Amino acid sequence: MEMQILEYKRAAVVTLAGRIDSSTSADLETALQTLIDKGKRNLVLDMARVEFLSSSGLRVLVNAYKACKGTGELCVAQPSERAASSLAIAGVDTLFTVYPTREAAVASF
Amino acid sequence: MPIRRLTIPGRLDQIEAACDCVEAGARDAGFDDSTSYACQLAVAEACENIVKHGYGALQPGEIRVAVTASPGELTVLLEDSGPPFNPARRPRQQPWDEDDPPVGGLGLLIIHRVMDRVSYLRRAGVNRLTMRKRVPRASG
Repeated sequence: MEMQILEYKRAAVVTLAGRIDSSTSADLETALQTLIDKGKRNLVLDMARVEFLSSSGLRVLVNAYKACKGTGELCVAQPSERAASSLAIAGVDTLFTVYPTREAAVASF
Repeated sequence: MPIRRLTIPGRLDQIEAACDCVEAGARDAGFDDSTSYACQLAVAEACENIVKHGYGALQPGEIRVAVTASPGELTVLLEDSGPPFNPARRPRQQPWDEDDPPVGGLGLLIIHRVMDRVSYLRRAGVNRLTMRKRVPRASG
């Protein structure tokens, strides 16, 4: 898994690529928790280049969503077909607001 | 009917190899990428259960993978020598609460939503989990 974090005034964008599974999701969890602890509660996950998203990754996303809710929001931008498929199969796709571009996601805050 | 066999160490970082094996089998079965991905996801979840809940803190063992493909059908057999663990029981539907969405049990949920048949057998100290996916071919 590759991860890049860009922090803007109103939101942080986490760009993810590759495989988010049981052997990599802890890194994502740490990164999101660090942002949340810093008070960044408007989070955009750019998932355009995610090739695999297992339940371990989904658990991290749902927990981060819950941590942000109330004071901010975690949303998803331009998910790959596979990332969108994982969200739908697990039934958590209705939880996240999905934007077609990261710019649209950032502009929503 | 081609059968692909693979033995991997029971470690999380080895699960990708099992997925590659399933991907090749799905190609043999003629599955599209979406169905192939769903099968890889289900098998990854089953392997993760074996590693985390089966071998757990025990000395990690092996996972034997056998993928059998025929047109429109894929069968994946996983064998491990961890303690008995039956993922074939369909998980209880958890109440959905948008304010506090459940995060447990997603792996089992994925396995049962993707696969058409999930069966489990414990024999001679070995867990045998069989998962089958069928895609009806368009009649023409």
